[in-house]
Amino acid sequence: MNSRIRKLALALLVCFVVLFVQLNVIQVARQGRYAADPRNNRQSIRDFNRPRGPIVTADGVVIADSVPTSPGDNFKFQRRYPLGTLFGNITGYYTLNFGSTQLEQSFNKVLMGDTPAQDLQSVTDLFKGDNSGSVKLTVRADLQKVVAQALGQRTGSIVVVNPRTGAVLAAYSSPAYDPNLIVVHNTRKSEAALRFLQAQPTDPLLDRTYQENYMPGSSFKIITTSIALQSGVLRMDQTFPVTNSWLPPQTTNPIQNFKGHNCGGTLPEVFAKSCNIPFAQTALAVGPLGMTQGVKAWGVDEQIPYDLPSPAASRFGQDAAKFSRTLPLLAIGGFGQGNDAMLPLHMALVASTVANGGVMMKPYIVDETLAHDGTVLTKTSPSPWKRPISTNVAQQMTQLMIGVVNTGTGKKMQLAGGIQAAAKTGTAQLSTKGPQRSNAWIVGFAPAEAPRYAIACMLKGGPGDDVSESTGGTLCGPIAKKVLDYLFATDGRG
Amino acid sequence: MTRPRTVATARRNTELGLALMAAIVTGAAYTLAALGKNAVLPPRLVAFLIAIVGILVLTHVANRFLARGADGTLLPLAALLNGIGYVMIARLNDRLAALQTTWTFIAVAAYVLTLLVVQRASDLARYKWTFLLIGIALLLMPLVPGVGALNNGARIGVYVGGVNFQPGEFAKIALALFFAGYLAERRELISASTWKVGPLRLPEPRYLLPILAAWAFAVVVMVAEKDLGSSLLFFTLFVVVVWVATERASYLVIGVLSFAAAAYVAWRLFSHVQLRVALWLDPWSRYGPETGGRGFQPVQAIFAMADGGVGGRGLGLGTPNKIPEAKNDFIFAAIGEELGLLGATALLIAFLLMIGAGLRIATRAERPFEKLLATGLTTIIGIQAFIIIGGVTRVVPLTGVALPFVGYGGSSLLGNYVLLALLVRISDSTARRLGETPDTLTVGERFTAWRKRNDQTWAGRQ
Repeated sequence: MNSRIRKLALALLVCFVVLFVQLNVIQVARQGRYAADPRNNRQSIRDFNRPRGPIVTADGVVIADSVPTSPGDNFKFQRRYPLGTLFGNITGYYTLNFGSTQLEQSFNKVLMGDTPAQDLQSVTDLFKGDNSGSVKLTVRADLQKVVAQALGQRTGSIVVVNPRTGAVLAAYSSPAYDPNLIVVHNTRKSEAALRFLQAQPTDPLLDRTYQENYMPGSSFKIITTSIALQSGVLRMDQTFPVTNSWLPPQTTNPIQNFKGHNCGGTLPEVFAKSCNIPFAQTALAVGPLGMTQGVKAWGVDEQIPYDLPSPAASRFGQDAAKFSRTLPLLAIGGFGQGNDAMLPLHMALVASTVANGGVMMKPYIVDETLAHDGTVLTKTSPSPWKRPISTNVAQQMTQLMIGVVNTGTGKKMQLAGGIQAAAKTGTAQLSTKGPQRSNAWIVGFAPAEAPRYAIACMLKGGPGDDVSESTGGTLCGPIAKKVLDYLFATDGRG
Repeated sequence: MTRPRTVATARRNTELGLALMAAIVTGAAYTLAALGKNAVLPPRLVAFLIAIVGILVLTHVANRFLARGADGTLLPLAALLNGIGYVMIARLNDRLAALQTTWTFIAVAAYVLTLLVVQRASDLARYKWTFLLIGIALLLMPLVPGVGALNNGARIGVYVGGVNFQPGEFAKIALALFFAGYLAERRELISASTWKVGPLRLPEPRYLLPILAAWAFAVVVMVAEKDLGSSLLFFTLFVVVVWVATERASYLVIGVLSFAAAAYVAWRLFSHVQLRVALWLDPWSRYGPETGGRGFQPVQAIFAMADGGVGGRGLGLGTPNKIPEAKNDFIFAAIGEELGLLGATALLIAFLLMIGAGLRIATRAERPFEKLLATGLTTIIGIQAFIIIGGVTRVVPLTGVALPFVGYGGSSLLGNYVLLALLVRISDSTARRLGETPDTLTVGERFTAWRKRNDQTWAGRQ
């Protein structure tokens, strides 16, 4: 019987070796996969009991931080967003059960102190408990406040960019939400807040500065005109006949100017007055291939390279071959209608390109990431993204855009203190039937001779509301003026 | 009179040393778990340390008096497993820890009592039919209306006088005793195999019948009680003991084949078996409440172990309470989370050492009954540990059996300490026979002799 007992011992040994192998599979080989499973929140639970670093604006205002909780709380730290709704779209939220968004998501490792550099630092001084890092932004809290006030209760967004660097100085999306409501540790309350926000038709959780594109209307004429000037199809002294209707090829449906007005004249005149027909004709003159390649040089149809999560892309609609078969669509695309859809951030960069001598910088919102002791981990250095036009064309475009502010549709953007602004308005008509629905735009920069700030303002109109009944110049003009006036008024200080 | 330093004395000294090491490990783990969980030293730490050292020393002293020649590793291994299990339970739930303490005392008392009552292992063979009846009665108890209780859909508990216990934990010992007794007596007849059925040569049906009936009965009751784990355990016990007794591989083949057939039939017939298999193959898609949520626990167990990694989260620093049944069926996952691959492997090794010690006792034993009993009892421990650890780690479908000595549960602890006492007793009997320790009269025999002398004295006086 002993030989059988020894065989039994061997069999049981094999059984336990199998268990050992399986343990290695679970605890070593597949550890990373299981840790990354969204249903596994053990890492988050640990993180919630560790300090998490702050997110700070360029002017030193803390917009997200963690504070110790009072006894009785499930976790040791509570995440706070001291400015409430003002930076919700930028910081995002950081929750245990519902994930995290925006900077809280994409800079999680820095904030937790888990980047390799921070890990290395924590090894050298083992006894320091708090290893959390911080994120310093390019946005200014004071400017963001002004922008939010200027936008008021309207649905839309405003982006202010430094045209020389691509640094985003303000980015506000309305309606905004208060991330403090979502980060409460009570799961039921947290879920209720999130469900409520998700159920809103205005979608406050969406960042309208870069996560959704909108029909640009006449503000797109900056791009059409630039492409035409750059390719030589159009010259500054070109004149367009005064007319109120023009029939493009392949259709019986004529194109009209805004509200059916008679419109025409020299290029600066039609640009300032924002006639539609000249730019429809220009787009056709450039041609399907020229236009599609031209907009590509401006970064259209490409995901915008931004340091916040899930950026969208601007759209020009379709490829050259399809446009050749649907030339009327190309014509109306020339003045920002049809299939055109632009991100407000991208439009601020379009204005910046003109302001920056034809170079479009990569947009960024994170200036530096810092270790716990304040040493800089990363610093964003400005870099160009696109070079769609020459310095010469940029100068010509600046002249055209100055005309818009001085004599055209953008008069409401004339700045205080004689500072010259350059801009282009846009009123995108979204509906052809039923109640009027349109988006109001203005994109511009100032001072025109040495640009320091570029701005894009976009208001999303609802069916028949005041935005839809108005124009980009009348609605966005005063908003842009308010923001730029504030910027120049406070420039000397600070 | 100076006593010679015998092998037995060396074994007892080794046992004392190892038991103290187990006590140190348990005490340290207990302290670390409290520090990790609440950042303070556990309350009544000194009392706890005195209690575990006291209970171990007392058990060891009992071994010195009652089983001098027995293997010296079984008790320390059991103490280590019990200690680690207790630390995990205490770390999960204070109330259960108090209950587990009580049960540990009772179980250790039962261990000493078993050593006292069973003075010579071979005596037990005489009662094999009694054990069969006891085993059957225990197995039937949960089905009796009024005392039977449902635990997680399995009818395996009995509720008597406010105490819930699982008779299956004792039935397995009774059946192991019966199998050993019956097969030790008739193994030659059974292995003679004079009955030809096609290519197979089987023993006379009348020799096989009682044991087959006992097995079939156990399996049927298990199916009626929906306790798949115990069913598998009994099946393996039966096949292993018959195979070792008869030394005929055909029984192994028949066993495996009939198991496969029974498993297939059970899978076809019973939805709860289908669910177990489905959860084994893919717990991931049954995780959320919208799918019934039955995969939640196995998935969380996998997450817990993965979170432990190689070194573990540290005692008191993990989140094992995310697994609803971490205290019993899933205690291994909790250990894997907080002690990591290293700690979990240490546990596996402790079980392997226990299996090794048990089977060594079986090989050293001379009488077939003792051999078969030691084999059966060790198989119970080994297979039960494999079934539940394999279930938690998804090597085999999960069936609810307790992890011996580690998991929460009074009946399990009690049953396993009685089982341990029997192994120790067999080991001691062998040592006496081999002359490793003087085969003096046992305590019980001395007591009987003393009583008889007194009786004679009384008789003489009258």
